[in-house]
Amino acid sequence: MADNISSAERSGSVSSAEPSGSVSLLAVFPDLMPAADALDQLRALGLSDDHMNVISGIPVTEAMLGRPSQWTNVPLLAAGGSILGFLAGAFLVFATPNLYPVPIQVGRQAFVPGPPTVVVLFELTMLGMLLSTFLGVFLDSYFPNYRPMEYVKEISDGKIAIFFICPEESRDKFTKAMTALGAEKVEVAEVEHL
Amino acid sequence: MAGYNKKEEHAHAKAELHTHGEEHFREKHLMLDPLPRGQMNDMVMESMMEKPTWRYWLVFATLSVIVAYCLFYKWGVLIMYGQGEAGVMRPDYWGIFLVNTVFWIGISHAGTFISAILRVFRAEFRRPFTRAAELMTTFGLVQAGFSIFMHLGRVWLAYWLMPYANQRMLWPNLHSPLTWDLLAITTYLLSSTMYLFLPLIPDVAMARDRSTGWRKNFYKILALGFRGTEGEWTHLRNAMNIFAFAIIPVMFSVHTIVSWDFAAATRPGWSSTIFGPYFIVGALHSGMGAAAIVLAVIRATMKHMKYFIRGEHFDAIGKLMLIISMAWAYFFFNDYMVQWYGGDKWTQQLLHFHEAGPMGWMWFGMLICNIAVPWAILWNAKWRATPWLIATVGIVINVGMWFERYIIIPVSVTINRMPFTWRLYEPGIEIPMGIGTLALFILLYMAASKLIPLIPVWEVQEGQMAHEFKKFGRETVISVSELE
Amino acid sequence: MIRPEEIKMSTEETGKWGMVIDQDICTGCQACVAACAMENNISFVGEVDSGYGRSMHWIRIERFWEGEYPEVKMTAQQPMMCQQCGHAPCEPVCPAFATVHSQAEQLNLQVYNRCVGTRYCGNNCPYQVRAFNWRAYKRPEPLSNQFNPDVTVRRMGVMEKCTFCIQRIHKAQDTAKSEGREVVDGEFTTACAQACPATAIVFGRVDHPESLVSQLGQRANGVKHLEELGTLPHVTYFKGG
Repeated sequence: MADNISSAERSGSVSSAEPSGSVSLLAVFPDLMPAADALDQLRALGLSDDHMNVISGIPVTEAMLGRPSQWTNVPLLAAGGSILGFLAGAFLVFATPNLYPVPIQVGRQAFVPGPPTVVVLFELTMLGMLLSTFLGVFLDSYFPNYRPMEYVKEISDGKIAIFFICPEESRDKFTKAMTALGAEKVEVAEVEHL
Repeated sequence: MAGYNKKEEHAHAKAELHTHGEEHFREKHLMLDPLPRGQMNDMVMESMMEKPTWRYWLVFATLSVIVAYCLFYKWGVLIMYGQGEAGVMRPDYWGIFLVNTVFWIGISHAGTFISAILRVFRAEFRRPFTRAAELMTTFGLVQAGFSIFMHLGRVWLAYWLMPYANQRMLWPNLHSPLTWDLLAITTYLLSSTMYLFLPLIPDVAMARDRSTGWRKNFYKILALGFRGTEGEWTHLRNAMNIFAFAIIPVMFSVHTIVSWDFAAATRPGWSSTIFGPYFIVGALHSGMGAAAIVLAVIRATMKHMKYFIRGEHFDAIGKLMLIISMAWAYFFFNDYMVQWYGGDKWTQQLLHFHEAGPMGWMWFGMLICNIAVPWAILWNAKWRATPWLIATVGIVINVGMWFERYIIIPVSVTINRMPFTWRLYEPGIEIPMGIGTLALFILLYMAASKLIPLIPVWEVQEGQMAHEFKKFGRETVISVSELE
Repeated sequence: MIRPEEIKMSTEETGKWGMVIDQDICTGCQACVAACAMENNISFVGEVDSGYGRSMHWIRIERFWEGEYPEVKMTAQQPMMCQQCGHAPCEPVCPAFATVHSQAEQLNLQVYNRCVGTRYCGNNCPYQVRAFNWRAYKRPEPLSNQFNPDVTVRRMGVMEKCTFCIQRIHKAQDTAKSEGREVVDGEFTTACAQACPATAIVFGRVDHPESLVSQLGQRANGVKHLEELGTLPHVTYFKGG
């Protein structure tokens, strides 16, 4: 759901992703333990993991907060990119010498020489892998995303924010529960330009 | 005294020792001296956005003039009047341009070593200066790229070396080490720029949150809308892990391929099988020295950097410099001993020319700068933790390594198997152009220090979270948790 | 389109065009150098550049001596030009394929139009016979009228070297073909061999046993310079005979 939030916002209609009559709140915690407790409490109050997201200034692993593991496509894209790179290298090494009307002979080396083949294939495989890893981050995180998003500046100061969607009528209950566990502030998540 | 006895005194003293021990650790080690993240953010932003002094502008202006004249104007002269402006001739078809290329690629390797290899080995001391090191890599590769293009006879046709479908149906020659060079350096340049950018994203997001005006727009665009959601961190961390592991073989392959420009040739002194690892260790040698210089300058000139970059970091870099210097001496001796022993008459002439010829002073200077000076100074822990001293050793090592590449390229190439052609290389326009690349490197660094946060604060905080004091019996030790 | 299997690799070739140079009768007069320069439109480099190792001559006479003054003894002169190696070290290292092996003539070709000027070939030639256009050398008037129209004029930034006067080879082959015959040995020769007053340079087909160059090549004291490098040069030298 971590990315579902952003995709919902990208389509411009935040409310269509939530049942009508619900509100999205942002609770800011100063430290790891209160945030982990808060997530347990939210689960106890009936929210599913899908309706919660953690936004933080340092990479807290999902395990530290008791969250389900986040799926990422980046390794798959890296593997795919390395295959593409390999194929590009294979084209250069195996196909291009045969594209000439008379194969070009240089020195005593075979037309498809052994060691240079290894070098070229290696370099282009690595290039493919790293380029696609980089692009994978962009694709998976929907970067660049300059639309207004839910965010508070305190997050980059090291706070851990929990973004959750709860029914409108139990808003006070949730707010009290978060504050009791140590939230510095609980507010309606405003979409703002970052 | 009533109530006062030996046991209490002992316990009291031990309590003092305990707190004094922790305080001592805190002072020495950044990872044990955490500050609130907001405060660290403040410090980094302040050091970046601090209004530049007149000294900064003076240096900036001087460097700009040097770059404009020595690099761009002189390059124009070179293109206009040909390679004859440089000092190259028969038999020294390659000169200082190639020396500078190898030199700058060498410096760039230390950046990758610090940000990738030290990350893979979980050396926590790397945390505050990985970005400073990666900037060295990127800017160093820019200078290397310039230097290699400078040596081309018809540089306006350099695109012929790229593999692209063209009307003449020609592809580059994959047998040539120069083509491997092109592929390897392109891969390395792109990879290290991407590897510089990925950990930068959370920090420019922080900068975006804390700035206004044109800076805010600039950081907003760079930050790509990063917020720090679970998904974003997962993708980022995953990608950074892949990069850290993958860029290490790329780094090794790049300088090995550069060394094969020489090792694959048939020249005496060049056709040496040890060039691959020899050049890699040489690259790390000069690069670590450059890293020490960069860190010392940053620490001395930028606000709050004394909190982030401490004696312990110079101590660690100093240890690395010493080990790498020993490794370099090992490889140098390997190369030298095997050539000396072999008895091939051309190689004997070459070795004699190295030591006793007109550039003998450079050969001895290389050994003194690369071996004698580091070994004399870097064994002392107190000296290692002194920034200006390590930076000076870094400068000496870089001079020595430049000498080493000069000996390998223009000096070695003087002695070939046709004695009628032997002639000594005399540098021409390469000298001002080389100075221009150095000025551009410093200039780019100065600009970057004012534009992007130099310290990866989120990584520093992550490290500080992982460090704690632990009692082992009576002793207080530092304990590092593996958070990933 | 020719398939790779149809190409005779240089390991199997005996060489087609070759030379024999008798160092004992070479007088060092440099007529060959002058003739080559005139035939192949070689630039005048000037005294300063020439003294610094930038002469553009495709053939040079190497002079050596033994002993200290005043007991100096001249040794044999050594004309050195591109050896048209069967296994040329200059060929694999050019990233732009500007120097390749000719299947038809079994010579080492230099493609001026493709050269980007990396000069790796120059470094890798063990005989150091490659000349680079370090500057845009101008032909002073009226010498510009002397250009040989059969040969390209190279521009700045391009590598060049001896081609065994390939323009003469092709001209002779074209003439012979139009007359429906093979090229006769001695019908044409390279500029350097033509100019040599001592007939120290002999050029011809080394794969035809009846040609003069093959017969001379049978002599016992023929050496190929730097043979131990495995370059398979096509020039045989006689010395100390």
